[in-house]
Amino acid sequence: MKKVFALMLAVVMVMALAVPAFADDTITIGVFEPLTGDNGPGGKQETLGMQYANQETPTVEIDGTTYNVELKVADNESSTDKAVSAATELVASGASIVLGSYGSSVAIAGSDTFGEAGIPVIGVTCTNPQVTVGNDHYFRICFTDPGQGAIHAQFAKNTLGASKVYCLGELGNDYDQGLLNYFQETADELGLEVQKEDFPNGTSDFTAYLTNAKNFGAEVIFAPCSIPYGQLIIQQASSQGLDVVITGPDTWDSNMIMDSVVATGMDVYCTTFYGEGGAPEFEEGFKAWLNSDDTALANNGGNDMIAAVSVMGYDAYYTALEAIKAAGSADPADILAALPGVTYTGATGSIAFGENGDAVRSTAFIKHANAETGEWEAELTELG
Amino acid sequence: MEKTLRKDPAKKIGSAIAVCLIAALYIFLFLLDNVLPANSFTLMLIPVLKKGAIYSLICVSMNLLNGFTGLFSLGQAGFMLLGAYAYAVFAIPAEQHPAVYQYFDGGAIGFSIPEALGKLLGENAGAFVGSILCIIIAGIVAAAFAALIGIPVLRLKSDYLAIATLGFAEIIRAVFQWNSLGPVTNGSNMLRKYTSFSAIKIGSVKLATVFPFLIAMICIGIIVLLINSSYGRAFKAVRDDEVAAEAMGISLFKHKMLSFVISSFFAGVGGALLAMYQTTIQASAFKSAMTYEILLIVVIGGIGSISGSCIASFLYIACNEWWLRFLDSGSFFGISVPFFRDGFRKVVFSVIIMVIVLFFSRGIMGDKELSFAGLVRKFQKKSAAGTAKGGAQK
Repeated sequence: MKKVFALMLAVVMVMALAVPAFADDTITIGVFEPLTGDNGPGGKQETLGMQYANQETPTVEIDGTTYNVELKVADNESSTDKAVSAATELVASGASIVLGSYGSSVAIAGSDTFGEAGIPVIGVTCTNPQVTVGNDHYFRICFTDPGQGAIHAQFAKNTLGASKVYCLGELGNDYDQGLLNYFQETADELGLEVQKEDFPNGTSDFTAYLTNAKNFGAEVIFAPCSIPYGQLIIQQASSQGLDVVITGPDTWDSNMIMDSVVATGMDVYCTTFYGEGGAPEFEEGFKAWLNSDDTALANNGGNDMIAAVSVMGYDAYYTALEAIKAAGSADPADILAALPGVTYTGATGSIAFGENGDAVRSTAFIKHANAETGEWEAELTELG
Repeated sequence: MEKTLRKDPAKKIGSAIAVCLIAALYIFLFLLDNVLPANSFTLMLIPVLKKGAIYSLICVSMNLLNGFTGLFSLGQAGFMLLGAYAYAVFAIPAEQHPAVYQYFDGGAIGFSIPEALGKLLGENAGAFVGSILCIIIAGIVAAAFAALIGIPVLRLKSDYLAIATLGFAEIIRAVFQWNSLGPVTNGSNMLRKYTSFSAIKIGSVKLATVFPFLIAMICIGIIVLLINSSYGRAFKAVRDDEVAAEAMGISLFKHKMLSFVISSFFAGVGGALLAMYQTTIQASAFKSAMTYEILLIVVIGGIGSISGSCIASFLYIACNEWWLRFLDSGSFFGISVPFFRDGFRKVVFSVIIMVIVLFFSRGIMGDKELSFAGLVRKFQKKSAAGTAKGGAQK
């Protein structure tokens, strides 16, 4: 009986392999994003932008023929050891071009699989320089960490008028450590006094670190870590009565950080890709779409607040369409050849690819969390 | 009496079938690498087979320790990390060092074994021999650390040993992330651009899938020979009753140490193969969750069964990374199913594992081995008398 049962299970699984064949007039755009794991919430929000763009413009015209564009999402589980099979799944689905991923380390881990298959990838919000260096098939539409680290140092020195900055990052996280490294470089040039500490993965009590910051006499705490740690740092700094400004990286542009700010009244800034009100037409349409779709609303964290990564996902989809049009075919090799010359003006500003396939971006936004209104106030700054 | 002394015909047929099947497997893998067209089936099959082979080796190495020597160790991820880093550090080409070690001025190593051999033997042979050399170094590094920490740790028993080895794995991960070691380990950042499976070829003949199978099979073969030797019998004696084993003259500490070091050696080799498969390596991936994943496969396959560990590895990897993905796609055979959304496959996967643990409480194979001779005997009995009552045999 057990054996029959086991056999049945096996048969069901094998049956599931039968993949429905696609019609010839369909172009597949792969979406390589984390939908589960640590970066699941961010990956879902980035995917939402692409899905909205896809239902807004589901077709692309090449040489007078209209093709349907289909999104194929593969979950990389925020994990570098699952990235290879997720990337292979997109290659196997016949994707012409791939978008993603949220989180630079999975993007780097999946990169070689796409490279060997000759499929171009557009990174949406992966800011680590290593994503595109040495990877000719990897492009990206966001700013990179050297620029972001420099902005934070300049902001601390020039706008906040600080002289002592305490830096706090997660040990073993290349995103945190990369940003801290670039922050330090600019801080040294500007003559800022910096004290840097690392906390191990899974830390929930930051009291000791914040006490060190207080003893150091820090006026600004720069904490380029993920959202859950950011929330804890804000809450615990408030409960210790620290009189500091806390600055965070692009990941902090989230309603969850805002909730902590509203609850504590701390002074919090973060860098981001998009300022509210930058593209009113998009915002209106996107919110209406979120509210009409339960699944989408749940994936956005249950409310219709727009995350910058969603806007970036939206722009990435249209950049991919531009690339397909410029190539005049759905063949990955043609798209790869056409991509360096592609330009597009989207909701987050104009997009063009420069050295290494990185976006030519001269500006970023610094957002201030207004604890009274619960709104983000964006301000445009020049990238250093 | 006479019958048992005579060579068993079933055994002969069984080993002939096994040899044929292994040959067929390698021919298939070879075709998969070179001849078979790349469609959605073969493309997904290749990474699953590679990772399955690598996990087989890692699970068998854990089984040697947990299943055959009765040492409940949870340090496997730590030894894999040592192996993966030892492999990657020595296999990154010198010209890539400035890009990879970008925060550490190009790192401290400045050479790569496959590259150095490439200059002597030609590029392909250099990559082949060099990566094997690096894999062996990976194993030796892991074994050396095992020998060091084995001295204090192996004096502990059961739960205490598990906690001590788990702690070791966590500490080693933190050490590798430490910035002061950055010029070698690249701190918190990834190591990449080292020799991977796709560089393994002879002329224009690719061996990307054959290679991990070959290494894993050789290593598993060595472990099987070890288990069937006098050392292996001593391991089992230690597992079954330490006091009795010691009374029979088996040195407990020596045999525990031997098992621990050998198991770690092969975990290191497995880590190196995993690094080759992933093409990038980062210490933060080797969390205790990875050890639990391996332990789960060992338990599903059957504690104390080599073939069980191998079968379970392939099934686990295929389910986790391939077969269940359709559950996330939102539709089934074109029919839209509302609850088939992101993350649903994880729910189904957990349920399947629970079903297996409930119905096969001793794992798929128990402590038996898959034996073609046993299958042949079973078939002979069935066809001869029609009243078969034998089972899978050792």
